[in-house]
Amino acid sequence: MPNFLQQLQDLNTFYENATIRIETLGNFVVWRNQQKIETKEWGRDKTIQLLQFLVSNRQRNALHKEKIMDNLWDDWNDRDFKVALHGINKVLEPNRPTRTEPIYIERQGVSYQINLDKVWIDVEALEQYIIIGNKCLSTELQIAKQAYQKAIALYKGTFLPNRIYEDWTSEEREKTQLLILGAYITLAEILLDENPLESIRLAQNALAIDATWEDAYRIQMKGYIKKGNRPQAIKTYMKCEVILEEEYGISPLPQTKNLLKEIESIA
Amino acid sequence: MNKKQEQNASFMVRFNQQIFEENEEAKIQWRGKITHVQDGDEKRFSDFNDALVFMQNKLASLTEEATKHESSEKQESILDKSLSMWKTIKDVGPKVIRDTLKDPKKQLSHLQDEIHDKITIIGDEISEKVQINEWRNASRSDFNKIQNQIESLSTEIKKLSKKMDTLNKK
Repeated sequence: MPNFLQQLQDLNTFYENATIRIETLGNFVVWRNQQKIETKEWGRDKTIQLLQFLVSNRQRNALHKEKIMDNLWDDWNDRDFKVALHGINKVLEPNRPTRTEPIYIERQGVSYQINLDKVWIDVEALEQYIIIGNKCLSTELQIAKQAYQKAIALYKGTFLPNRIYEDWTSEEREKTQLLILGAYITLAEILLDENPLESIRLAQNALAIDATWEDAYRIQMKGYIKKGNRPQAIKTYMKCEVILEEEYGISPLPQTKNLLKEIESIA
Repeated sequence: MNKKQEQNASFMVRFNQQIFEENEEAKIQWRGKITHVQDGDEKRFSDFNDALVFMQNKLASLTEEATKHESSEKQESILDKSLSMWKTIKDVGPKVIRDTLKDPKKQLSHLQDEIHDKITIIGDEISEKVQINEWRNASRSDFNKIQNQIESLSTEIKKLSKKMDTLNKK
Protein backbone atom coordinates (compact mmCIF):
# COMPACT_ATOMS: atom_id res chain seq x y z
CA MET A 1 0.00 0.00 0.00
CA PRO A 2 1.47 3.39 -0.90
CA ASN A 3 2.60 5.54 1.99
CA PHE A 4 0.62 8.71 1.38
CA LEU A 5 1.90 10.45 4.49
CA GLN A 6 5.45 9.92 3.25
CA GLN A 7 4.51 11.30 -0.17
CA LEU A 8 3.03 14.34 1.52
CA GLN A 9 6.16 14.86 3.58
CA ASP A 10 8.38 14.41 0.52
CA LEU A 11 6.48 17.19 -1.22
CA ASN A 12 6.91 19.46 1.79
CA THR A 13 10.62 18.66 1.98
CA PHE A 14 11.04 19.32 -1.72
CA TYR A 15 9.56 22.79 -1.22
CA GLU A 16 11.82 23.53 1.75
CA ASN A 17 15.02 22.40 0.03
CA ALA A 18 14.46 23.57 -3.54
CA THR A 19 17.00 26.14 -4.66
CA ILE A 20 14.66 27.41 -7.34
CA ARG A 21 10.98 27.99 -6.64
CA ILE A 22 8.53 29.35 -9.16
CA GLU A 23 5.19 30.84 -8.19
CA THR A 24 2.66 31.28 -10.96
CA LEU A 25 -0.66 31.43 -9.14
CA GLY A 26 -1.95 34.95 -8.58
CA ASN A 27 1.44 36.38 -9.48
CA PHE A 28 4.68 35.38 -11.15
CA VAL A 29 7.60 35.25 -8.77
CA VAL A 30 10.81 33.25 -8.93
CA TRP A 31 12.88 32.56 -5.84
CA ARG A 32 16.56 31.60 -5.87
CA ASN A 33 18.04 30.44 -2.57
CA GLN A 34 15.01 31.88 -0.72
CA GLN A 35 15.56 35.26 -2.37
CA LYS A 36 13.06 36.84 -4.68
CA ILE A 37 14.45 37.54 -8.13
CA GLU A 38 13.77 41.13 -9.12
CA THR A 39 12.11 41.86 -12.47
CA LYS A 40 15.09 43.83 -13.75
CA GLU A 41 17.31 40.75 -13.42
CA TRP A 42 15.37 39.08 -16.23
CA GLY A 43 16.17 41.83 -18.70
CA ARG A 44 13.84 41.29 -21.65
CA ASP A 45 10.23 40.19 -21.32
CA LYS A 46 10.93 37.43 -23.84
CA THR A 47 13.12 35.73 -21.23
CA ILE A 48 10.23 35.63 -18.77
CA GLN A 49 7.84 34.48 -21.52
CA LEU A 50 10.10 31.58 -22.40
CA LEU A 51 10.35 30.45 -18.77
CA GLN A 52 6.58 30.76 -18.36
CA PHE A 53 6.03 28.75 -21.53
CA LEU A 54 8.29 26.00 -20.22
CA VAL A 55 6.34 26.04 -16.94
CA SER A 56 3.02 25.81 -18.81
CA ASN A 57 4.28 22.84 -20.82
CA ARG A 58 6.36 21.24 -18.11
CA GLN A 59 4.57 17.90 -18.25
CA ARG A 60 5.15 17.42 -21.95
CA ASN A 61 8.31 15.78 -23.16
CA ALA A 62 11.14 18.01 -24.22
CA LEU A 63 9.78 20.74 -26.47
CA HIS A 64 11.38 21.47 -29.78
CA LYS A 65 12.88 24.94 -30.05
CA GLU A 66 10.87 25.85 -33.15
CA LYS A 67 7.61 24.70 -31.59
CA ILE A 68 8.32 26.86 -28.56
CA MET A 69 9.04 29.93 -30.67
CA ASP A 70 6.05 29.34 -32.97
CA ASN A 71 3.78 29.36 -29.95
CA LEU A 72 5.35 32.37 -28.34
CA TRP A 73 6.27 34.94 -30.90
CA ASP A 74 4.99 36.24 -34.23
CA ASP A 75 8.35 36.89 -35.81
CA TRP A 76 11.24 35.07 -34.35
CA ASN A 77 14.75 34.07 -35.12
CA ASP A 78 17.27 31.79 -33.48
CA ARG A 79 18.88 34.71 -31.77
CA ASP A 80 15.68 35.57 -29.85
CA PHE A 81 15.56 32.08 -28.46
CA LYS A 82 19.25 31.95 -27.66
CA VAL A 83 19.15 35.28 -25.84
CA ALA A 84 16.01 34.35 -23.89
CA LEU A 85 17.37 30.95 -22.90
CA HIS A 86 20.69 32.43 -21.91
CA GLY A 87 18.75 34.98 -19.84
CA ILE A 88 16.91 32.24 -17.94
CA ASN A 89 20.04 30.20 -17.28
CA LYS A 90 21.93 33.27 -16.16
CA VAL A 91 19.23 34.17 -13.64
CA LEU A 92 18.67 30.65 -12.34
CA GLU A 93 22.35 29.65 -12.24
CA PRO A 94 24.41 32.83 -12.00
CA ASN A 95 27.50 30.95 -10.86
CA ARG A 96 27.40 28.10 -13.34
CA PRO A 97 30.91 27.38 -14.62
CA THR A 98 31.35 27.86 -18.36
CA ARG A 99 31.02 24.81 -20.59
CA THR A 100 28.82 22.99 -18.12
CA GLU A 101 25.24 22.07 -18.91
CA PRO A 102 22.48 24.00 -17.14
CA ILE A 103 20.71 21.86 -14.56
CA TYR A 104 17.32 23.55 -14.27
CA ILE A 105 16.52 23.90 -17.97
CA GLU A 106 17.49 20.62 -19.53
CA ARG A 107 18.47 20.32 -23.16
CA GLN A 108 18.16 17.30 -25.41
CA GLY A 109 19.51 18.30 -28.80
CA VAL A 110 17.27 21.20 -29.78
CA SER A 111 14.51 20.38 -27.29
CA TYR A 112 14.12 21.87 -23.85
CA GLN A 113 12.27 21.24 -20.61
CA ILE A 114 12.26 22.23 -16.98
CA ASN A 115 13.83 19.74 -14.60
CA LEU A 116 10.89 19.02 -12.30
CA ASP A 117 13.09 17.08 -9.87
CA LYS A 118 15.06 20.22 -9.13
CA VAL A 119 12.67 23.12 -9.67
CA TRP A 120 9.68 23.54 -7.35
CA ILE A 121 6.67 25.01 -9.16
CA ASP A 122 3.45 25.89 -7.31
CA VAL A 123 1.05 24.55 -9.98
CA GLU A 124 2.94 21.28 -10.10
CA ALA A 125 2.92 20.96 -6.31
CA LEU A 126 -0.78 21.86 -6.19
CA GLU A 127 -1.59 19.06 -8.62
CA GLN A 128 0.55 16.57 -6.69
CA TYR A 129 -1.16 17.43 -3.39
CA ILE A 130 -4.58 17.00 -4.99
CA ILE A 131 -3.54 13.66 -6.48
CA ILE A 132 -2.53 12.47 -2.99
CA GLY A 133 -5.79 13.81 -1.54
CA ASN A 134 -7.91 12.05 -4.17
CA LYS A 135 -6.01 8.78 -3.81
CA CYS A 136 -6.43 8.48 -0.06
CA LEU A 137 -9.85 10.12 0.27
CA SER A 138 -11.67 6.88 0.98
CA THR A 139 -8.96 5.24 3.08
CA GLU A 140 -7.05 7.89 5.01
CA LEU A 141 -9.26 10.90 5.47
CA GLN A 142 -6.89 12.86 7.71
CA ILE A 143 -4.08 12.71 5.16
CA ALA A 144 -6.52 13.61 2.38
CA LYS A 145 -7.59 16.63 4.39
CA GLN A 146 -3.99 17.76 4.88
CA ALA A 147 -3.25 17.28 1.20
CA TYR A 148 -6.24 19.37 0.09
CA GLN A 149 -5.38 22.06 2.63
CA LYS A 150 -1.83 22.22 1.27
CA ALA A 151 -3.14 22.53 -2.30
CA ILE A 152 -5.60 25.25 -1.33
CA ALA A 153 -2.89 27.21 0.48
CA LEU A 154 -0.93 27.28 -2.78
CA TYR A 155 -3.80 28.72 -4.80
CA LYS A 156 -3.32 32.46 -4.61
CA GLY A 157 -5.18 33.26 -7.79
CA THR A 158 -5.38 32.46 -11.46
CA PHE A 159 -2.43 30.97 -13.34
CA LEU A 160 -0.09 33.64 -14.76
CA PRO A 161 -2.61 36.50 -14.41
CA ASN A 162 -0.53 38.84 -16.53
CA ARG A 163 -0.79 36.43 -19.49
CA ILE A 164 -4.50 35.69 -19.54
CA TYR A 165 -4.81 36.79 -23.16
CA GLU A 166 -2.08 34.45 -24.36
CA ASP A 167 -3.49 31.21 -25.67
CA TRP A 168 -0.48 29.12 -24.58
CA THR A 169 -1.44 29.74 -20.96
CA SER A 170 -5.16 28.82 -21.19
CA GLU A 171 -4.81 25.07 -20.91
CA GLU A 172 -2.88 25.22 -17.66
CA ARG A 173 -5.19 27.93 -16.27
CA GLU A 174 -8.30 25.87 -16.99
CA LYS A 175 -6.77 22.69 -15.61
CA THR A 176 -5.67 24.36 -12.38
CA GLN A 177 -9.02 26.05 -11.95
CA LEU A 178 -10.90 22.76 -12.20
CA LEU A 179 -8.44 21.08 -9.84
CA ILE A 180 -8.85 23.77 -7.21
CA LEU A 181 -12.64 23.89 -7.59
CA GLY A 182 -12.66 20.15 -6.93
CA ALA A 183 -10.38 20.57 -3.91
CA TYR A 184 -12.54 23.34 -2.40
CA ILE A 185 -15.71 21.28 -2.77
CA THR A 186 -14.21 18.00 -1.52
CA LEU A 187 -12.60 19.59 1.51
CA ALA A 188 -15.76 21.59 2.26
CA GLU A 189 -17.74 18.33 2.23
CA ILE A 190 -15.23 16.61 4.52
CA LEU A 191 -15.39 19.48 7.01
CA LEU A 192 -19.14 20.00 6.96
CA ASP A 193 -19.82 18.26 10.29
CA GLU A 194 -16.75 19.32 12.24
CA ASN A 195 -16.45 22.88 10.94
CA PRO A 196 -19.46 24.14 8.94
CA LEU A 197 -18.20 27.71 8.90
CA GLU A 198 -14.99 26.64 7.21
CA SER A 199 -17.07 24.64 4.70
CA ILE A 200 -19.11 27.74 3.93
CA ARG A 201 -15.92 29.75 3.44
CA LEU A 202 -14.38 27.13 1.14
CA ALA A 203 -17.58 26.94 -0.89
CA GLN A 204 -17.51 30.72 -1.15
CA ASN A 205 -13.98 30.50 -2.57
CA ALA A 206 -15.25 28.06 -5.17
CA LEU A 207 -18.07 30.47 -6.05
CA ALA A 208 -15.57 33.29 -6.41
CA ILE A 209 -13.97 31.25 -9.20
CA ASP A 210 -17.23 30.07 -10.73
CA ALA A 211 -20.47 31.60 -9.48
CA THR A 212 -22.54 28.85 -11.12
CA TRP A 213 -20.89 25.95 -9.25
CA GLU A 214 -24.06 24.42 -7.84
CA ASP A 215 -22.33 21.98 -5.45
CA ALA A 216 -20.95 24.98 -3.59
CA TYR A 217 -24.43 26.42 -2.99
CA ARG A 218 -25.64 23.09 -1.59
CA ILE A 219 -22.67 22.92 0.78
CA GLN A 220 -23.37 26.45 1.97
CA MET A 221 -27.05 25.64 2.50
CA LYS A 222 -26.09 22.59 4.60
CA GLY A 223 -23.47 24.62 6.47
CA TYR A 224 -25.95 27.35 7.38
CA ILE A 225 -28.48 24.80 8.58
CA LYS A 226 -25.84 23.20 10.77
CA LYS A 227 -25.18 26.64 12.25
CA GLY A 228 -28.93 27.08 12.78
CA ASN A 229 -29.17 29.88 10.23
CA ARG A 230 -32.25 28.82 8.24
CA PRO A 231 -32.91 32.22 6.58
CA GLN A 232 -29.36 32.34 5.22
CA ALA A 233 -29.70 28.79 3.89
CA ILE A 234 -32.86 29.78 2.00
CA LYS A 235 -31.21 32.97 0.77
CA THR A 236 -28.33 30.89 -0.60
CA TYR A 237 -30.79 28.77 -2.58
CA MET A 238 -32.36 31.93 -4.00
CA LYS A 239 -28.95 33.18 -5.05
CA CYS A 240 -28.24 29.87 -6.77
CA GLU A 241 -31.59 29.96 -8.55
CA VAL A 242 -31.04 33.51 -9.81
CA ILE A 243 -27.52 32.89 -11.07
CA LEU A 244 -28.42 29.66 -12.88
CA GLU A 245 -31.36 31.39 -14.54
CA GLU A 246 -29.22 34.36 -15.55
CA GLU A 247 -26.27 32.39 -16.86
CA TYR A 248 -27.83 29.24 -18.31
CA GLY A 249 -31.59 29.80 -18.31
CA ILE A 250 -32.03 26.68 -16.18
CA SER A 251 -33.27 25.92 -12.67
CA PRO A 252 -31.32 24.19 -9.89
CA LEU A 253 -30.97 20.40 -9.89
CA PRO A 254 -33.63 18.28 -8.14
CA GLN A 255 -31.20 17.52 -5.29
CA THR A 256 -30.79 21.24 -4.61
CA LYS A 257 -34.55 21.77 -4.76
CA ASN A 258 -35.07 18.80 -2.42
CA LEU A 259 -32.56 20.27 0.00
CA LEU A 260 -34.56 23.50 0.00
CA LYS A 261 -37.74 21.53 0.76
CA GLU A 262 -35.98 19.85 3.71
CA ILE A 263 -34.83 23.22 4.98
CA GLU A 264 -38.28 24.75 4.59
CA SER A 265 -39.82 21.87 6.50
CA ILE A 266 -37.61 22.58 9.51
CA ALA A 267 -39.79 24.23 12.07
CA MET B 1 0.31 41.70 -43.60
CA ASN B 2 -1.53 41.37 -40.33
CA LYS B 3 0.25 40.05 -37.29
CA LYS B 4 -0.23 36.35 -36.56
CA GLN B 5 -1.96 37.22 -33.31
CA GLU B 6 -4.57 39.22 -35.17
CA GLN B 7 -5.39 36.22 -37.36
CA ASN B 8 -5.97 33.85 -34.48
CA ALA B 9 -8.91 33.20 -32.23
CA SER B 10 -8.61 30.63 -29.47
CA PHE B 11 -11.51 29.29 -27.47
CA MET B 12 -11.50 27.37 -24.23
CA VAL B 13 -14.66 25.33 -23.74
CA ARG B 14 -15.60 23.77 -20.43
CA PHE B 15 -18.35 21.17 -20.16
CA ASN B 16 -19.80 20.21 -16.83
CA GLN B 17 -22.12 17.21 -16.73
CA GLN B 18 -24.91 16.78 -14.23
CA ILE B 19 -26.52 13.38 -14.01
CA PHE B 20 -29.62 13.23 -11.88
CA GLU B 21 -32.96 11.55 -11.40
CA GLU B 22 -36.24 13.32 -11.85
CA ASN B 23 -39.64 11.64 -11.67
CA GLU B 24 -37.82 8.30 -11.44
CA GLU B 25 -36.14 8.95 -14.73
CA ALA B 26 -32.37 9.28 -15.19
CA LYS B 27 -31.43 12.56 -16.80
CA ILE B 28 -28.30 14.33 -17.87
CA GLN B 29 -27.70 18.03 -18.23
CA TRP B 30 -24.68 19.70 -19.79
CA ARG B 31 -23.55 23.09 -18.63
CA GLY B 32 -20.83 24.79 -20.55
CA LYS B 33 -18.63 27.82 -20.57
CA ILE B 34 -16.77 29.13 -23.57
CA THR B 35 -14.01 31.69 -23.26
CA HIS B 36 -12.48 33.69 -26.07
CA VAL B 37 -8.86 33.73 -24.96
CA GLN B 38 -7.70 36.85 -26.79
CA ASP B 39 -10.23 39.21 -25.16
CA GLY B 40 -11.29 37.18 -22.13
CA ASP B 41 -15.01 37.31 -22.98
CA GLU B 42 -17.04 34.40 -21.68
CA LYS B 43 -20.42 32.90 -22.40
CA ARG B 44 -22.18 30.18 -20.47
CA PHE B 45 -24.48 27.81 -22.29
CA SER B 46 -26.75 24.86 -21.81
CA ASP B 47 -27.37 24.66 -25.55
CA PHE B 48 -24.26 24.15 -27.66
CA ASN B 49 -25.70 26.37 -30.39
CA ASP B 50 -25.13 29.35 -28.10
CA ALA B 51 -21.45 28.47 -27.96
CA LEU B 52 -21.30 28.26 -31.73
CA VAL B 53 -22.99 31.65 -32.07
CA PHE B 54 -20.45 33.08 -29.62
CA MET B 55 -17.58 31.69 -31.70
CA GLN B 56 -19.18 32.89 -34.89
CA ASN B 57 -19.46 36.44 -33.55
CA LYS B 58 -15.86 36.50 -32.39
CA LEU B 59 -14.63 35.20 -35.73
CA ALA B 60 -16.78 37.67 -37.62
CA SER B 61 -15.21 40.50 -35.60
CA LEU B 62 -11.78 39.12 -36.41
CA THR B 63 -12.56 39.05 -40.13
CA GLU B 64 -14.11 42.50 -39.92
CA GLU B 65 -11.03 43.91 -38.22
CA ALA B 66 -8.69 42.25 -40.71
CA THR B 67 -10.64 43.59 -43.70
CA LYS B 68 -11.42 47.08 -42.43
CA HIS B 69 -9.14 48.66 -45.04
CA GLU B 70 -10.80 46.83 -47.92
CA SER B 71 -13.63 48.28 -49.97
CA SER B 72 -17.01 47.74 -48.35
CA GLU B 73 -17.99 45.44 -51.22
CA LYS B 74 -14.96 43.23 -50.76
CA GLN B 75 -15.30 43.25 -47.00
CA GLU B 76 -18.93 42.20 -47.27
CA SER B 77 -18.06 39.41 -49.64
CA ILE B 78 -15.33 38.07 -47.33
CA LEU B 79 -17.65 38.30 -44.34
CA ASP B 80 -20.37 36.49 -46.25
CA LYS B 81 -18.01 33.67 -47.07
CA SER B 82 -16.84 33.48 -43.49
CA LEU B 83 -20.37 33.45 -42.11
CA SER B 84 -21.74 30.97 -44.62
CA MET B 85 -19.30 28.36 -43.36
CA TRP B 86 -20.37 29.07 -39.80
CA LYS B 87 -24.04 28.91 -40.65
CA THR B 88 -23.53 25.44 -42.08
CA ILE B 89 -21.50 24.26 -39.11
CA LYS B 90 -24.02 25.73 -36.71
CA ASP B 91 -26.87 23.87 -38.41
CA VAL B 92 -25.07 20.60 -38.92
CA GLY B 93 -22.32 20.54 -36.30
CA PRO B 94 -24.04 19.69 -33.02
CA LYS B 95 -26.29 17.02 -34.53
CA VAL B 96 -23.36 15.41 -36.29
CA ILE B 97 -21.32 15.33 -33.09
CA ARG B 98 -24.19 13.99 -30.99
CA ASP B 99 -25.20 11.29 -33.45
CA THR B 100 -21.64 10.31 -34.18
CA LEU B 101 -20.93 9.78 -30.51
CA LYS B 102 -23.99 7.54 -30.33
CA ASP B 103 -23.26 5.49 -33.39
CA PRO B 104 -20.31 6.59 -35.53
CA LYS B 105 -20.86 4.15 -38.41
CA LYS B 106 -24.59 4.76 -38.63
CA GLN B 107 -24.10 8.50 -38.45
CA LEU B 108 -21.44 8.56 -41.15
CA SER B 109 -23.61 6.45 -43.37
CA HIS B 110 -26.57 8.73 -42.62
CA LEU B 111 -24.46 11.78 -43.36
CA GLN B 112 -23.29 10.17 -46.54
CA ASP B 113 -26.88 9.49 -47.63
CA GLU B 114 -28.00 12.97 -46.72
CA ILE B 115 -25.21 14.70 -48.63
CA HIS B 116 -25.54 12.27 -51.50
CA ASP B 117 -29.24 13.14 -51.80
CA LYS B 118 -28.44 16.84 -51.87
CA ILE B 119 -25.73 16.32 -54.46
CA THR B 120 -28.04 14.29 -56.67
CA ILE B 121 -30.61 17.04 -56.59
CA ILE B 122 -28.15 19.72 -57.61
CA GLY B 123 -26.27 17.74 -60.20
CA ASP B 124 -23.53 15.21 -60.78
CA GLU B 125 -21.06 18.00 -61.30
CA ILE B 126 -20.57 18.55 -57.56
CA SER B 127 -20.50 14.94 -56.42
CA GLU B 128 -16.96 14.53 -57.67
CA LYS B 129 -15.76 17.11 -55.19
CA VAL B 130 -16.91 15.20 -52.09
CA GLN B 131 -15.08 11.93 -51.49
CA ILE B 132 -17.59 10.51 -49.01
CA ASN B 133 -16.25 6.98 -49.30
CA GLU B 134 -12.95 8.06 -47.83
CA TRP B 135 -14.62 8.84 -44.51
CA ARG B 136 -14.18 5.88 -42.23
CA ASN B 137 -13.89 6.66 -38.52
CA ALA B 138 -14.95 9.80 -36.76
CA SER B 139 -11.54 11.25 -36.01
CA ARG B 140 -10.79 14.95 -35.56
CA SER B 141 -9.25 15.14 -38.99
CA ASP B 142 -12.42 13.60 -40.44
CA PHE B 143 -14.44 16.36 -38.84
CA ASN B 144 -12.09 18.99 -40.21
CA LYS B 145 -12.39 17.38 -43.59
CA ILE B 146 -16.17 17.27 -43.29
CA GLN B 147 -16.19 20.95 -42.34
CA ASN B 148 -14.02 21.93 -45.29
CA GLN B 149 -16.00 19.88 -47.74
CA ILE B 150 -19.31 21.16 -46.43
CA GLU B 151 -17.93 24.67 -46.86
CA SER B 152 -16.99 24.05 -50.50
CA LEU B 153 -20.28 22.27 -51.07
CA SER B 154 -22.14 25.21 -49.62
CA THR B 155 -20.31 27.61 -51.95
CA GLU B 156 -21.08 25.41 -54.94
CA ILE B 157 -24.75 25.21 -53.95
CA LYS B 158 -24.89 28.99 -53.70
CA LYS B 159 -23.33 29.41 -57.13
CA LEU B 160 -25.72 26.90 -58.66
CA SER B 161 -28.64 28.46 -56.93
CA LYS B 162 -27.68 31.84 -58.39
CA LYS B 163 -27.41 30.30 -61.85
CA MET B 164 -30.81 28.70 -61.43
CA ASP B 165 -32.30 32.04 -60.40
CA THR B 166 -30.82 33.71 -63.46
CA LEU B 167 -32.13 30.97 -65.71
CA ASN B 168 -35.55 31.17 -64.14
CA LYS B 169 -35.67 34.91 -64.72
CA LYS B 170 -34.84 34.38 -68.39
